[in-house]
Amino acid sequence: MQNWFENKRFFWATMLAPTVWFLAFFVAPMALVWAYSFGENAGPVNIAITGTFGNYAKAFRPEILQVLSDSVVLALIATLICLVLAFPVAIAMTFADDKTKSWLLLLIMLPFWTNLLIRTYALIAMMRTEGFINFTFAFFHNIAVSLGFNLGDYVPMELLYNKSAIVIGLVYVHLPFMVLPLYAALDKLDRSLIEASLDLGAGHLTTMWKIVVPLALPGIAAGLVITFIPAMGAYLTPDLLGGPNDLMIATLIERQFKRANDWPFGSALSFILMYVTLIFFALRTFFEARGGKVSAH
Amino acid sequence: MSKKPQRAPLEYSKSFRLRAWIFGVLLFLYAPLLILIAFSFNDSKRNIVWKGFTFKWYVKVFENDALREALFNSLIIAVLCTIFSVILGALAAFVLWRFKFPMKGLLESGLNLPIVVPEICMGVGVLMFFNKIHWPNDLPWPISLSQIIIAHITFSFPFVAVVVRARLESFNKELEAAALDLGASQWRAFTDVIVPHMTPGLIAGALLAFTLSLDDFVITFFASGPGTITFPIKVYSMVRFSVTPEVNAASTIIIVLTLIATAVAMKFQDTSPNKENA
Amino acid sequence: MAEIKLTPEETALFLKGNSRSRRAFMAAFGATAAAFSIAACSKGSAPAAKDDGKIVIEGSEKAPLKFYNWDTYIGETTLDDFKAASDVPVEMTLFASNDELFAKFRAGNPGYDVIMPSNEYVTRMAEAGMLQPLDHSKIPNMKNIAPEFLDPDFDKGRKFSMPYTWLVLGIGYRKSAMKDGAAPDSWKYVLDSDQYKGKISLLGESMDLFRLTFKYLGHSVNDYTPELLKQAEAILVKQKAFVKNFHDDNGQDLLLSKEVDIVIEYNGDIAQVKKEDDDLDFLIPKEGSLLNSDCMCIPKGAPSPNNAHAFINYILDAKVGAAISKTILYPTPNAAAKALMDDAYKNNPIIFPPADKLAKCEYGKFLGQEYAQSIESAMNRVRAAK
Repeated sequence: MQNWFENKRFFWATMLAPTVWFLAFFVAPMALVWAYSFGENAGPVNIAITGTFGNYAKAFRPEILQVLSDSVVLALIATLICLVLAFPVAIAMTFADDKTKSWLLLLIMLPFWTNLLIRTYALIAMMRTEGFINFTFAFFHNIAVSLGFNLGDYVPMELLYNKSAIVIGLVYVHLPFMVLPLYAALDKLDRSLIEASLDLGAGHLTTMWKIVVPLALPGIAAGLVITFIPAMGAYLTPDLLGGPNDLMIATLIERQFKRANDWPFGSALSFILMYVTLIFFALRTFFEARGGKVSAH
Repeated sequence: MSKKPQRAPLEYSKSFRLRAWIFGVLLFLYAPLLILIAFSFNDSKRNIVWKGFTFKWYVKVFENDALREALFNSLIIAVLCTIFSVILGALAAFVLWRFKFPMKGLLESGLNLPIVVPEICMGVGVLMFFNKIHWPNDLPWPISLSQIIIAHITFSFPFVAVVVRARLESFNKELEAAALDLGASQWRAFTDVIVPHMTPGLIAGALLAFTLSLDDFVITFFASGPGTITFPIKVYSMVRFSVTPEVNAASTIIIVLTLIATAVAMKFQDTSPNKENA
Repeated sequence: MAEIKLTPEETALFLKGNSRSRRAFMAAFGATAAAFSIAACSKGSAPAAKDDGKIVIEGSEKAPLKFYNWDTYIGETTLDDFKAASDVPVEMTLFASNDELFAKFRAGNPGYDVIMPSNEYVTRMAEAGMLQPLDHSKIPNMKNIAPEFLDPDFDKGRKFSMPYTWLVLGIGYRKSAMKDGAAPDSWKYVLDSDQYKGKISLLGESMDLFRLTFKYLGHSVNDYTPELLKQAEAILVKQKAFVKNFHDDNGQDLLLSKEVDIVIEYNGDIAQVKKEDDDLDFLIPKEGSLLNSDCMCIPKGAPSPNNAHAFINYILDAKVGAAISKTILYPTPNAAAKALMDDAYKNNPIIFPPADKLAKCEYGKFLGQEYAQSIESAMNRVRAAK
């Protein structure tokens, strides 16, 4: 890594555009909302910025912590399932010829170019009590019965309106967020390493675990970040697929900005999520920087 | 696996188990999509129960100017958002990977915030921001889409940056040094050595940005001025009554057109030496 | 230019000699013939539909009218017809919920002329200074509105709003699934009973759900004390165990797909699914219920207020209103338009429930910021309760 002043022109040339954009169109708008998080409602529209921490204090109510921890767990499970599903797909892409690779990429992405809402409706049509999954199972069940197996009547599975439905929905919606970074990290990797490993008699799985997974680590890390965080922020999927006990944090935040018309509290909740992220990544960068220095010597 | 000796050691894509896995994943992704397509032929105003076969929703799509306009707006926004997001995201990833500079940690973790921020929160921020700077609301089309495009780029390019950054980890820095030693300018070394290595990251980032932009509703709603409708806005606005199968029909048309376009593009690639396009 | 637009089904029915469709056809034809005839050169005060169907808007702003509405919530040719009659084109943009509409207008009017909030939000927006008082002299078609809609609590004297549709919440149910075939004529069945355990879907909208619970407890929907709120919260927490889900205003779909047998929904929504499945029905429980009404308003800072008044007046026209009702099939507050509708609509007991039941229904009032926030917190506690 180069120090910026050793190559100032190139540094500015590459750094300026994204930084300025970020400051102008993200930091500036969000600064307005950040100020609200220290404000109090003064009428239906006005917010008095009083410097209060009351909105943050409200966020530590037990029901909100409950919703938050539920959301973390659900998003985490969905993210791990995405990783398991996506890894072999990324491997296949990595070792496929260009044409197959392009088709695979397209086939993975194509479903996501249809509207999320109608895709979720379709998922509901699959999973409901009188849905296609239950029809399929009932069909085979009845065949088995007609073949003489004594199974009794088919009892449809209750697939919707519970936590597993939310997880399935989150996986369905966020899978490409895991496939793409893995593909990006692995594509055109140095095959000689793998060939060497295989030549030395290591099995495919061992090679995969010892050679490919380490190479994929940056991609896995990126995938975990851009899958987990948006999954935490999902509101439509949990709203439509979840049961009476399943409220996720994004829905709760959304309602503060809408029905409750409590922008200060909504901002405080949003910014708590952002503070946590900021601290997490700052620590990571800090430790990476220290680790980097140590290993450089 | 050893039953197929003709398979070269690295042709994992020909492995039966891997193929079965991919088939399973695609089944998971496409089964609901097939239902979505089936409902586009359903003779009912809603996507719930099958009432008989009809083509009328396709006819309606072709008669419905507002729907086509919404689709067209969404596509323009998504394409422009993708182009800018890839450029900004790649630059950001490069700078963070290549240089040490003051406040780097802050910028690096800050760039994750657009991924974290709840959509409604950013929507409200964007609304207030454009209002504060008196961004005109009565611009002619397509400039009237600029607010939406700016907002979309803002939440998309960090995704690109994360993916490209992960890709750059595998770059052998000696290659750049070698190019520089051979007298290449800093810029040439960047475009000729680093960008080619970035390519899979750029493709993945572009696909992400396009997907994110195409499907966004909340932020688009708050960033849009009067007179602007995108496809998601149209769909969500129907929810209160019922989303008509017209939307399914339009989506089916898009799916089929994409598949055809890709197949044609691949055919052309076969005849030309050029490769890689997604 | 106005055109006769009939759907293929209508045309087919007309050719087959179906009297209902023929009447509709004749009505459409009459309106069109009028629009085609040459405009007379008389000048009048206020926007007036002349005999020839042309509308003269006094002080018309030469700009397209910006109309903010829900999608599929207007007659198929209404906007084109208005343009043909008045030479003012209408640009309809879409929003998806009252909350989003309100949130968007917190930054000021981005340039809309006519918007369509629901009752409570009319109050909310008026209190927030987002609405412009209407000039009733420019809306002579106000005479078409049924008297019971002329002085509602949420907008006394119709200062800010003109009614477009109205709705009432009630219980939608599957007849064949009801125990002993008895109609579920009390909120008890959805809010405080395990009789339909696992087959109940409640409204996810916190405010309306709590108001209905107040109603079940024998109070007005607008009664509010911390004790009552606590009591309602306890009932909902207990009932949660028997509930399949809290729906996102798609209860009619859940009912139609047999996921649940009994839901809280709007009459207009159940009326639509009943057309697909006759086993479904709707009633207003004996305790009474909550009314809802979407209204046309002119936001402050509207670029073309004169056109906006003319447009609202046009929508309130009997024939125009009837054409809209024909498409959207929601109950209309426009008495003159209702009179033009066919019996299948007018006598539909779901669209127009019995008067004695309606008499017990109320509009939800906007009772201030804190009230909304305390209900929202209570709903969060209900959802998070184990």
